[in-house]
Amino acid sequence: MEEKNLNEKESLELISRMIRNTQRKFEKEHAVPYLVFGYLTVLVAIVVWYLLSTTRNQQWNLLWLLIPIVGSVILYFANRNSQREVQTFVDRAVSYVWIVCGVTVFVASFVPTFYVAMPILFLVALIISMGTTLTGGITRMRLLTVSGSIGMAAAFFLLSVKGPESILFFAAIFLVTMVIPGHILYAKGRKK
Amino acid sequence: MTFPTLDPLLHSELRLAIMSILLSVEEADFNYLRDKTGATSGNISVQIDKLSEAGYIQVEKGFAGKRTRTVCKITQKGAAAFEAYVEALKGYLNL
Repeated sequence: MEEKNLNEKESLELISRMIRNTQRKFEKEHAVPYLVFGYLTVLVAIVVWYLLSTTRNQQWNLLWLLIPIVGSVILYFANRNSQREVQTFVDRAVSYVWIVCGVTVFVASFVPTFYVAMPILFLVALIISMGTTLTGGITRMRLLTVSGSIGMAAAFFLLSVKGPESILFFAAIFLVTMVIPGHILYAKGRKK
Repeated sequence: MTFPTLDPLLHSELRLAIMSILLSVEEADFNYLRDKTGATSGNISVQIDKLSEAGYIQVEKGFAGKRTRTVCKITQKGAAAFEAYVEALKGYLNL
């Protein structure tokens, strides 16, 4: 492309072409947070279920804090050397969805400890599934919309599961809402 | 019938391409603009400077690791100028 004058028709065609070229296709890097937090949640859930089932010591619930801490560290190192060349409104909107979901989940997780008993697993599963559904809607990725919706429905079902087994059901929700979509999206991104 | 004047700053292939891209995205770095326009680094650099001096784009220079990174964003003035340019084009084409 050179510094040359175009006629009016060529100018409009150039504008259309450049705008079309900025339409971002899904990239495999977008799948990484789903895989990281999905697997971390499933893993921690299984460990906490096992420890609570065998020891009945509620202190093991502190292990849930590993999810945001370890997940954030992993993502920091994963993103450190990758250069994002462009940011679109969609990128920003999706980031805000997950910032709000993440902060809400983090703060809400302390409520049962310090304030009032509440079905925290239901709340976390619902919020994260909502995040996935919203992301699917914003990015027009039906896979995320569907898996997120399944997660949201399953979160309500979680209310009827009692005892430590509810933690396993919680893990299964994250398997469906984050891990499986994360693998599919990563594979799609690699094909590009 | 009098035709509106086309902004000479935008009536240039590469500068128009850069502005079109920046209108669509919130921000784009130097490499992205170079890859999407197919222009040389030197040429892109010159045009970015011209657009920045005119206040049409905002340029931020920083680092990504050890490498320098130049990020461009369109300004309100730039967006308004682009809109006026498109309207003027429509006038010429009777759209």
